[in-house]
Amino acid sequence: MASITKGSAAYKKKDGTLGITQNEKSLQWLPLGASADKAVTIAIADITNLQQTPETAPKVMLKIFEKSPDAPEAVTHLFHFNSPSNPRGEANAVKDVLTNLISALKAKDASVPTANGSAPASAAMAMASAVTSKQGLVAAKWFDDNALKVDIELQQSLMKKDPSLHGTYMEALRTKPDTISNSQFNSQFWSTRTNILRAFAVETSQKKGSYNVLSAVKPRQVDGELKMNISAEQIQLIFNQHPLIKRVYDENVPKLHENEFWSRFFLSRLFKKLKGERIVETDGTDPTFDRYLDATADIGPIQRLLGLHIPNVIDLEGNQENQGGSKGGNRADFTMRQNSVAKVPIVRILNSLSEKIMANVAPSDVDPADPIGMDEETFNALALRDLQGDSEENRIMLNIKQQSQFFANEKSEVSAEAALYAKQVPAEVLSNMRFDVNPQHMNHRVGGGLDLSSAIGVIEDSDSDEEPEKKVPHVGSKSSLNDAKDQILEGVKSRRTEIIGSDAQSSLSGLSQKIFDRLTLTHATTTEFLHHFWLVFLSGDPDRAGELAKMVETLERAMDRINSVANDADAERDEIIRRHKQQIRDHFERTGKKLPLNSSAIGGGGKVVREMMEPTIKTLHKATKEYKKALTAEGIDTS
Amino acid sequence: MDRVDGTDHYEGDKQGPGPSLLVIVLDTNPHAWALLNPTLPLSKAISNLLVFINAHLASHNANQVAVVASHCHRSVWLYPRPEPPSEDVEMKDNAPALNDANKYRPFALIEDSLLTSLRELISTTTENDISTTNTTQMAGSLTLALTYINKATLLFSDSNVTSEPMSTTLEGPENTTGLQSRILVISVSGDLAHQYIPIMNTTFAAQRMRVPIDILKLAGDTVFLQQASDTTKGIYMQLRNPQGLLQYLMMAFLPDQTSRKNLVAPTQEVVDFRAACFCHRKVVDVGFVCSICLSIFCSPSEGAICLTCSTHLALGDYGSKPAVVPRKKKKKRKLNGGVGTPSSRGGTPMPNE
Repeated sequence: MASITKGSAAYKKKDGTLGITQNEKSLQWLPLGASADKAVTIAIADITNLQQTPETAPKVMLKIFEKSPDAPEAVTHLFHFNSPSNPRGEANAVKDVLTNLISALKAKDASVPTANGSAPASAAMAMASAVTSKQGLVAAKWFDDNALKVDIELQQSLMKKDPSLHGTYMEALRTKPDTISNSQFNSQFWSTRTNILRAFAVETSQKKGSYNVLSAVKPRQVDGELKMNISAEQIQLIFNQHPLIKRVYDENVPKLHENEFWSRFFLSRLFKKLKGERIVETDGTDPTFDRYLDATADIGPIQRLLGLHIPNVIDLEGNQENQGGSKGGNRADFTMRQNSVAKVPIVRILNSLSEKIMANVAPSDVDPADPIGMDEETFNALALRDLQGDSEENRIMLNIKQQSQFFANEKSEVSAEAALYAKQVPAEVLSNMRFDVNPQHMNHRVGGGLDLSSAIGVIEDSDSDEEPEKKVPHVGSKSSLNDAKDQILEGVKSRRTEIIGSDAQSSLSGLSQKIFDRLTLTHATTTEFLHHFWLVFLSGDPDRAGELAKMVETLERAMDRINSVANDADAERDEIIRRHKQQIRDHFERTGKKLPLNSSAIGGGGKVVREMMEPTIKTLHKATKEYKKALTAEGIDTS
Repeated sequence: MDRVDGTDHYEGDKQGPGPSLLVIVLDTNPHAWALLNPTLPLSKAISNLLVFINAHLASHNANQVAVVASHCHRSVWLYPRPEPPSEDVEMKDNAPALNDANKYRPFALIEDSLLTSLRELISTTTENDISTTNTTQMAGSLTLALTYINKATLLFSDSNVTSEPMSTTLEGPENTTGLQSRILVISVSGDLAHQYIPIMNTTFAAQRMRVPIDILKLAGDTVFLQQASDTTKGIYMQLRNPQGLLQYLMMAFLPDQTSRKNLVAPTQEVVDFRAACFCHRKVVDVGFVCSICLSIFCSPSEGAICLTCSTHLALGDYGSKPAVVPRKKKKKRKLNGGVGTPSSRGGTPMPNE
């Protein structure tokens, strides 16, 4: 009975080996060192479902749902792969073989129930697990940079949503050196944008949940007739959320026309009741629907909720009998009382609706590998922690050291000012200062106070503008005050242009929109290539050196591209000047007056382009220089 | 509320801008003033400052002022003077100056107090004080200023019963009727890198309290004061001509917050956002930040252990020598165990857990 594929796995806390028997008919678990009678054998034909912990989870567990033809309920087996070396690999091997065998069996025998439809009781569970496992798969993808990088579909849809990114991509693709293959380029391009891809993947995979559908359907009165738009999905949702309506529909629709059923339903008191509105006397009666008004209807999902195992800690109903009786005492809040439906219908309806909606949502926080019944977490929640000792602190300790202790003695860098200060003699400094603030030297008036008008040194009548070289400038002299005023006004001016002066026209600096757009694109691609260059350059990976050489070529071509934009801008400017000259000539011919040509007033041209791109050009030079330096360091001539 | 105190006639005034508190931090670093002495002696600067203070007080009848000296080893209140420890106040200093008929008494009070405190401060400075340091206690002075502002704001909202109760959170919408406070730093010394962290802390406190920090830079250059004014939306001016100090004060720094909303501030637009590293107090262009405690270092620490919190950090691909020559032999060996997928967070040190 040797197994082909096997892995060491624990079952019910016992170590053992899980493997597939040679005849490929069953899965067998043999306890370690124990007799074979404790072994577990599961026929592969009976396996209805397989579940595995996600790739990222630290624990590797495989859950097998077994349902033999004569057994009423599926039995689950949970195997915990605990091989010290490679639990994940072993688990995957076993799982892969199992999936292959199961699918082969299913293909042969179509009558074998599919996993999802095996039993009504487990259907919800299977669905839930399907949802969670799919989420696990996607979630794993989000965290894997490589998976994101090769997901062309995702990238395409992202670019469709972001035209500027698409533009950059296309431009970079067009201008890439031929030596870089498309796929290489692709992975380089996206390697710097995995964060965007990840965000996009997360965004697209989020879905809207179900909503309160009854309030979403808005019937409206047209020509005394009720019109409404109700889609098949909405009907589906209504039935899901309100089993009562399903019942009413079942019992009445053959008799009633379907359209009539819905239009009458939306006018009925039953609709108002289900929606949580107050029923008033003036509301029309409808014997078909009013029959159901008192039906304690919506027990479906509640029952399902009751079927679920609710931990006692959060089970409010479990505490009901402990309340202090119906007459006074700790009476429950009136919204919580059993028979106050009529009093606060809206609160109750909304509560129960939320309950129903939530009951239909697959729980996202359930680990599919958890054993059924009370799991460890519930047990922990139920445990009386107060009675136990202090739990161990589960924190990362930060040992903050007093910084001054290891920095105080290091005054390594002496600033320019400190050097100047050091040259001064402390005694002189002090005596000068004392002398300076001495009352006798501070323009004191007879009374003892400071004569501010003379102390500030402003002489009203002084005309230092006219003869500035005659006097030594003193504090408060007219020239210094004027200079100060100029500086402040300069500051104000530059601030003002910053605040209001940046309208569209001036930001183009005389370039045409076409050239400017080209420039923007060139800038974006250049930055892109620079990014790649530094990534490769700093990776220190010799295997990528070839790639690096190509990147440097690209950078050189980036410079050419900037130049070509600059040349085109020059041509554009020349054209404008030519037209201006033509105008002046025409004007001269018509009127005989010569207008001066002010070519400096015409903006644009290659100069402006180069000014705008100056930082980029600098970084390009820096990149090439660093590369050459590294080459020289390797002993290669960079001629 | 019964208005027995007769504050009714102030009712109309409530619509106008509220009073403002100006806290001036005067850098009195003796080294720096000695250097500046030929162009602008301290005494002249003080006179100019007094004129400015008087102008501030004159522009609203409830305006307040406070002056802190940031000296070489301590920060001292120049005005209001701290209560003298002993009961007997020397009367001979005060009496003559305050009896000057040609001076508005509140102005004379401030002038007298400020000069007396300043002289006291300078006379108590020893040679040893000066020779042992060349910086100034800017961070301490800013802290003093902020505490004073906090106190004054509370006091003001208490005494002003007619005004609505001040919101306790200082982040609430800007109140136009309450006390508007600002700080003006008259800075002469550079080289504050050693106080980087405390200065930034006070800056952020001021930002929270919506207190602009204006910087008037007479000499020296400090990156962090520039950042302080930028963060708190104050005005930063490096004076081209220190002798025109009065003009700068009156033109650029006199308007309070209410007026500034309608004015274009003459602040310098280029802000140096560099930080100082925690290890050598150097101002760095490229720094390394611990992802756990956010300490800044000028170079990756030895063994990739954060000096502040002792966390093991992984440096990723950083620091590997650029490989420009393809490996000749077909031997695959990746440096640093790098996965070869440098993402956008390639260089970020991660906790090595």
